Amino acid sequence: MSKLGSVVEAVDKYNKFVEDEVRRARTDKKFGQQMVNRWNEIKAKIPFGSAPTGLKLPRLALPEIDEAGDITRYLLGDGLPGEFPFLNGAYREMYLEPLQNPAIEIGAYEKNGHNGKSQNNGSKNGAKNSAKAQQAEEPTRLFSGLMLAEDTNERFHFLGAHQRSKRLSTAFDGPTLYGIDSDAPGILGKIGEGGVAVDTVEDMVRLYDGFDLGSPDFSASMTISGPAPIIMAMYIAAAKRRFGNDIVPKLRGTIQADIFKEVQAQNETIFPVEASLRFLTDMMEFTTREMPRWYPVSISGYHIGEAGSTPVQQAAYTLSNGFAYAEMMAARGIPVDEFGPRLSFFLDCGLDVEYIALTRVSRRIWAIGMRDAFGAGHKAQMFKVHTQTSGRSLVAAEFKNNLTRTAAELMLSYMNGTNSCHSNSADEPFTTPSEEWIRLAAHGQAILLDESGIFKHTMNMLSGSPGMKAVERAVEAAILEEFRQIEELGGVVAAIEHRYQRSQIQNAAHRYEQQIYDGTRPIIALNKYRNANEEPPEMELARTPKAKKQLQVDRLKQFKKKNAAKAEKVLEKLAAVAESDKNCFPTLLEAAEVCSLGQISACLQEVVGRFRPMV
Amino acid sequence: MASPIRVLTAVPICDGHDSAINTINLEFIRHGVEVVYLGYHRYAEDIVRAAIQEDVRAVGISSYNGGHVEFFAEVVKQLRKRGADDIAVFGGGGGTITHDDQRVMQKRGVDKIFFAGTSLTDMVGFVHERYGKAHKHNGRNGAPADMKLARKLTAIEDGYADGTKKQRNSKAAIRSQRSKIRNTKVIGFTGPGGAGKTTLIDELVLRLLQRDAKSRIAILSHDPSVVGAGALLGDRATMINSQHDRVFMRSMATRGQAGGLSPATADCLQLLAQSGFDYVIIETVGTGQEAMPFQSKLVDQTVLVMNPDYGARLQLQKIVMLDLADIIVVNKSDQDRARTAMSEIGRRVEQNGREQRVLATVAKRHRDGGVDQLCDLLTPLVRPMAKTSKKGQPK
Repeated sequence: MSKLGSVVEAVDKYNKFVEDEVRRARTDKKFGQQMVNRWNEIKAKIPFGSAPTGLKLPRLALPEIDEAGDITRYLLGDGLPGEFPFLNGAYREMYLEPLQNPAIEIGAYEKNGHNGKSQNNGSKNGAKNSAKAQQAEEPTRLFSGLMLAEDTNERFHFLGAHQRSKRLSTAFDGPTLYGIDSDAPGILGKIGEGGVAVDTVEDMVRLYDGFDLGSPDFSASMTISGPAPIIMAMYIAAAKRRFGNDIVPKLRGTIQADIFKEVQAQNETIFPVEASLRFLTDMMEFTTREMPRWYPVSISGYHIGEAGSTPVQQAAYTLSNGFAYAEMMAARGIPVDEFGPRLSFFLDCGLDVEYIALTRVSRRIWAIGMRDAFGAGHKAQMFKVHTQTSGRSLVAAEFKNNLTRTAAELMLSYMNGTNSCHSNSADEPFTTPSEEWIRLAAHGQAILLDESGIFKHTMNMLSGSPGMKAVERAVEAAILEEFRQIEELGGVVAAIEHRYQRSQIQNAAHRYEQQIYDGTRPIIALNKYRNANEEPPEMELARTPKAKKQLQVDRLKQFKKKNAAKAEKVLEKLAAVAESDKNCFPTLLEAAEVCSLGQISACLQEVVGRFRPMV
Repeated sequence: MASPIRVLTAVPICDGHDSAINTINLEFIRHGVEVVYLGYHRYAEDIVRAAIQEDVRAVGISSYNGGHVEFFAEVVKQLRKRGADDIAVFGGGGGTITHDDQRVMQKRGVDKIFFAGTSLTDMVGFVHERYGKAHKHNGRNGAPADMKLARKLTAIEDGYADGTKKQRNSKAAIRSQRSKIRNTKVIGFTGPGGAGKTTLIDELVLRLLQRDAKSRIAILSHDPSVVGAGALLGDRATMINSQHDRVFMRSMATRGQAGGLSPATADCLQLLAQSGFDYVIIETVGTGQEAMPFQSKLVDQTVLVMNPDYGARLQLQKIVMLDLADIIVVNKSDQDRARTAMSEIGRRVEQNGREQRVLATVAKRHRDGGVDQLCDLLTPLVRPMAKTSKKGQPK
């Protein structure tokens, strides 16, 4: 049995445990009374805040129950926000606006805003004592990348202009995602399209110019998987160039590095699976030990969802991939409480009904699996997640409707207690977002969180509602069923070799298209209420001018010429280390100083081979 | 009946968005089209080479990662340069290809762009209407050898499709050809689906190309036709070493014939064997226990590729190819059951009392020693000096 089998057992067992405890609370008078007393204590401690209208509301809403069994089921089965099994939230207060009068704050309530902050002991203590404690980071994290490094840098400064915290999320262009240099034959047209072109450490310096990479308010996210360890090494090298060697432990952010979902859905893999996993664990081992604020893998369902999976498949494959990474790290002898808190997730949020509770249920399964199958402590049980609204749900026909779609998806994402969020721009069916539409996308989040009162005053707005519960139960059962299928095939890696996840996703995608064409899945303005006379919209397109593409090629050639002698030497060393079973990451750090991305990936491919595509 | 329409589909270099193309491929094959699927992240050069060798009527490109204006135009340009201006280029990219882009692309020779919201039915209809007719010329004077050869292969397939050709069984006729082609080695690969034949062949090709800097290789690869309709010819998509100027690959659909090959296979194989290649590799579809696909005397050596998990030992008694194959490869020998499989199969072929080799490989592993061994067995250690100099471009 792989670890996934143990996870399924653990969840079944925990669900049975909850029901047993419910019965016990109803039959064992003493235990029942204990639960009721605990419930009353919790309720008594809930602070009140007030809405701008003056309405007083509790900062934590709880179901109106007073019977010992019901109370037990809620406390153990769902858990309070910030408590096992975390159905209602990874943290206690999430998006609540700070209390006006800290004096009435109850000490037991941590003020963890969300992802990251609570992970950083230094800043947490600082935050508690200072007036700034009131200002949690915004969960807004917008994905961006276009043309050359300096252009993306400009966009980063534009996006972050009004934010307290700088949370940058970087999209790379195709050649970078595939570990290919900009000067390689046949790829000129792809430079800077769909993301930013990064070939060398010098590009990396340009990319984050003007940002204080070591600041507690800064975090960088890099969306790249195939060559992730190389790009990570370049990021560290760039940070060292700007701030010196001491910067390394202070670096905060995340790199996607999720090989499993690449092989299952996104197809941006450059080394064979085994070798990719080895380079990944090499990197994770390094960052876990040397970079305590870094999340070295973002276990991603987004691309699985975008490739056409059902929401349940998305959650099931993402979670099972996560457990497989945990198994790999444990196999390297790294304690679960060291690597567990450094794992984070990334989900897609579309408009299907499952999304009402998908993240809530994922959080619960992760917590139970990590605690009971891996023996993880509190911090390693928490499923911390970034959500992006669904790009796939956006359509070109009457594209302004996409604002509504994204708004609804944002609402769902926050209802699920996401730790950070990206909202798509309405013009994405056509282009890398233009400033006009990306601004509206960002404002969408601010309108929900800052302007509206929906998320500001009370946690648990819908927790325990009958509809929510019905969706939670159905989704959890379906995810566990998917786990059982994967387990039957021998676990995640074996299932990948059987193309199981790929073919499931492809079938779902095909069904989705069929449903659009036969009308059983209405898409407004596409197959329902279609405007036959619609003119194609005038779009401002983000395209990279040829001169810029050439500039990137020229810069790269110069870099290679300048470093030729040093590069040759370090690549030789890298090949030798890759051939051995030593950790490659320290040598990658050396190589990143003087070699291009393409040189490094080619060197490694020479040793371990290239990825063979799966159909 | 006329031959089915053959199109090639692919996703451009540095682009892994294959969700749309997978759906479209399925829809095409359900409606009688034979789709040679080249996969995602493919260079224009690889697309053009494959389109010419496969002699498709059109190339369909699905692009979602930008740079489409340049990429589509590059494919058109290279097709024209290589004399294949009658292979059309069409495609789409959801909303990423704008109407302005389309105008530029059409000016540069792209036949058709589908915009977001086009129904699958419309696409299928377009392909049938627009690409229903066969190419007019069979390779102009001065057309590259690859293209001439490809069009001759099409003519053979068409002959069987419209009934003007019947399968020949005259061994004498075939034997008489042997003398002309003795410098070409023909190797047949067969075995159950999922045993890793395609990967093994691709790894073998890598070694053959490396061992002799001049050698040329042809691959004839088979995939089943959907009953009475099209076929997904997808072997190229998983091949990374065979996208090479010294490799000529042709994907064939079985077009209703059982047993792992197409009615036109023997003739096509014969043509390839006479076309100046050093090696001709033929791959059957995934076969059952009773299959014995290589009846033609054209095949010099046969390789049976097996999975370690064939079931109980008794099953081995029923596999006919275990009697016939020269080499039996147990691929995926990193699996738990491989050791047992090796000894069971070893004992099974001992009964035959002839010289058969049993090898263990892990084709998916880079530089696998088992595949090296297979390559040694298939290539004579000492090659006649004169031989390479005779080789050149196929005639």
